[in-house]
Amino acid sequence: MSITLDQVTKHYGGMPVVNDVSLDIGDGEFFVLLGPSGSGKSTLLRAIAGLSSVDHGRIALHGRDVTHVAARKRGVGLVFQNYALFRHMTVADNIEFALRVRRMRAAKRRQRRKELLRLVALEGMDDRLPTQLSGGQQQRVAVARALAHKPEVLLLDEPFGALDAKIREELRRTIRQVQRELGITTVLVTHDQEEAFAMADRIGIMNLGRLLEMGAPHELYSRPATRFVATFLGAANLILALRTPDGIQVGGATLAAAERSADAREHEVVAVVRPEEIEVAPARGALTSGFLAHGVVDEAMFTGAVERLRVRLANDGAAAQLLAGNEDGVSAALQVTRSQYEQRAFTVHAGAQVAVGVRRLHVLPTPLSSFTCCATTEALAEALSHQPLLTELAARMKTRIALRSEPQLGLAQAPAGPEAFVGTTVIAAGEDCAVRAEWLLRRGAKDLLVLPARLAAPQRVLIHWLGEAARSATLGMSASVLRHVPAEAVYVGILPDDDDGSRRPPGMRELLDARSEAQAAHGLEIRTELRFGEVAEELARRLAESPAQMLIVGVTELTRFAERFRALLDAGQWPVFLVQRGPP
Amino acid sequence: MSLRKPSVLPGFGLTLGFTTFFLSAIVLLPLAALVLEAGSMPWRDFLHVVLSPRALGSYRLSFGASLLAASINLVFGFIIAWTLVRYEFPGRKVIDALIDMPFALPTAVSGIALTTVFAQNGWIGRYLEPLGIKVAYTWLGVTLALTLISMPFAVRAVQPALLEVQRDLEEAAETLGAGRLYVFRRIILPTVLPALLTGFTLSFARAVGEYGSVIFIAGNLPMKTEITPLLIVIHLEEFDYHGAAALGVVMLGISFVMLLAINLLQAWGRRQHVRAAH
Repeated sequence: MSITLDQVTKHYGGMPVVNDVSLDIGDGEFFVLLGPSGSGKSTLLRAIAGLSSVDHGRIALHGRDVTHVAARKRGVGLVFQNYALFRHMTVADNIEFALRVRRMRAAKRRQRRKELLRLVALEGMDDRLPTQLSGGQQQRVAVARALAHKPEVLLLDEPFGALDAKIREELRRTIRQVQRELGITTVLVTHDQEEAFAMADRIGIMNLGRLLEMGAPHELYSRPATRFVATFLGAANLILALRTPDGIQVGGATLAAAERSADAREHEVVAVVRPEEIEVAPARGALTSGFLAHGVVDEAMFTGAVERLRVRLANDGAAAQLLAGNEDGVSAALQVTRSQYEQRAFTVHAGAQVAVGVRRLHVLPTPLSSFTCCATTEALAEALSHQPLLTELAARMKTRIALRSEPQLGLAQAPAGPEAFVGTTVIAAGEDCAVRAEWLLRRGAKDLLVLPARLAAPQRVLIHWLGEAARSATLGMSASVLRHVPAEAVYVGILPDDDDGSRRPPGMRELLDARSEAQAAHGLEIRTELRFGEVAEELARRLAESPAQMLIVGVTELTRFAERFRALLDAGQWPVFLVQRGPP
Repeated sequence: MSLRKPSVLPGFGLTLGFTTFFLSAIVLLPLAALVLEAGSMPWRDFLHVVLSPRALGSYRLSFGASLLAASINLVFGFIIAWTLVRYEFPGRKVIDALIDMPFALPTAVSGIALTTVFAQNGWIGRYLEPLGIKVAYTWLGVTLALTLISMPFAVRAVQPALLEVQRDLEEAAETLGAGRLYVFRRIILPTVLPALLTGFTLSFARAVGEYGSVIFIAGNLPMKTEITPLLIVIHLEEFDYHGAAALGVVMLGISFVMLLAINLLQAWGRRQHVRAAH
């Protein structure tokens, strides 16, 4: 491995800007770190270069631990967005800078300089000053300068940001060529997904300081695991659907999913449909793909190679399931792109009635689909839906918050309303909360979020499960929550107090298993702690240790649930996520 | 027929007119009067005044101490500017404002303050006395006063130039393997050198012209701690306007030559720079 990052974490003013990032980059690989501005990608690159220290974790280059090695001794080449050429030196002096520092002889320096100038196609420019060169040429000089001392790793920090489109393309090709010719491991930081697709062997996508997903460009595009990646990499329609044994049910239509699910039970899922995977036809019978709904074309825009449509679904059931896409977030209309060929086959104008079909649909593995605020009256549910943490989560997840009133919420023996509980049910913390939680869990709500009225944004998420059956669901839920909350994750293992030592080894093993499963299955880095005592008491004690914490707890059976968790839930101080799985 | 090409920006005639008028009325005319006044005396008298041992001693002190003060400010002004630009610390704004204090203070006040502190029984002077160091009433005191009043020029000249040195450049040099000292020598210094020279020039010019603060701390012993501006005042007090004007012309001449030399040096440096490029 050329570059190995192990749990790298960096805080600025208490907020994690790089949050537990672990990553292996192979020899000669071209790796692209992609993310919106403020996602921590540049900080991570600077940490690799040694220009910014890390608070936690390790960085190794070619097997050498360089976490505490100064930038000048790391042997990396770094290219900046604004070139950072030495303006008082000629091109030749700029390129030879690293060689002069290393006291290389003049003749050898000249030879190396000529080599590098040929490599970046700037022969004969030796005696120019940087100010006499165009932006593209300056960046070529910067690349040559960064390569002069034969670094083991080349780092590029948004190198094309300041260049216009045409030059950008040309320089992209040059850099890719140089990289292949030298076989040098390269990390490029960018916010431009097209650039990432064009250059990367592998892309890592960052948001809120976390490395969310990595993989080959086409894999990430066709099979994203998170809604952030689905909407950040190209356009995507997000649709709330129900996974049934027959397939994916949206509104009245049932479609086939591209992949199978391990979870057999019927549950709500988030489906991703790319705009180019949607077919429009004059009538249902003319569709060559699975029928989704009828719709009206809101807008038809010609953009050259493709045509962009916005289609409002007529079928109420399907329309309600459509989540606001990544473009404007205002009106939930389906985004469609069509090739010239499709346009010739069927011409549409704004206002046209069409039948909409879906060619390919990808289901996100996330267990967090939508929120339903539940209270005894509609007004209370409405009030709960404005809770800041909830609205922020929903906005970041681009999902919706529904309301549901259960007048008999918490009354023993009373039945729940006729509709099934889907997605995550949200209730207010406080008095009787534990009883209400048990009531809901017993009546089919599987994922339950208990929210206090006022709380600080969580900076740490504690994770625990009672019973192995809930383990993978709890980890999955934790991973989903942590993608949308910039917090650190801690798995709390708890052993009974009366332990004679014999249960310690399994306890420790459980911690390690939790960590490796979180990483392998969900790409989530977690820390671990081991405590002793009664589970609910110990969790309450741990939560009380510092403010701004959140708890995610997996439960299997509900015997004496309200009694055991009364202190924890009724205190109404911490958000608690309950995930119930297990034998029916 | 017009002497100049038509310009896009209107108002050239008007602004040039004002420039010429103000420069003439405020700078050139008084200087010309000074030269005329001195020129109206016979050559022998002129040389007698200008080359008297007392006058020669005062030139040495005035220009020597000013050069020394400007050099001190070159070094410490740079360090102060560096601290203010590069570091975030509580009280930075206050210190930044303090830099300009010597501007605002009547120079006589600075002189009195310095004398109080550095006199033999002053706060600092009393500890220097046993070490055999006398500041007040020696050339050391003169240099000190000149350093104080000309310091803001050095700091303020370098500050904007330092702000312009991008951190990126230093970081780039660092990743290329350069140590701190190397970065300073090869990257930072060349970038701020013109500003440093400007600061030096301004400091020097200000110090040469200084009068108020020096006379309090200098002790004004002829040949030893008497600066040229004081000698001019002494001539004036004796109603010897010609003598005063003669000394003034000499100061004017020396100052002009020195400033010109520094400016030429700067221009030469820029040319070297460009020549290296071709």
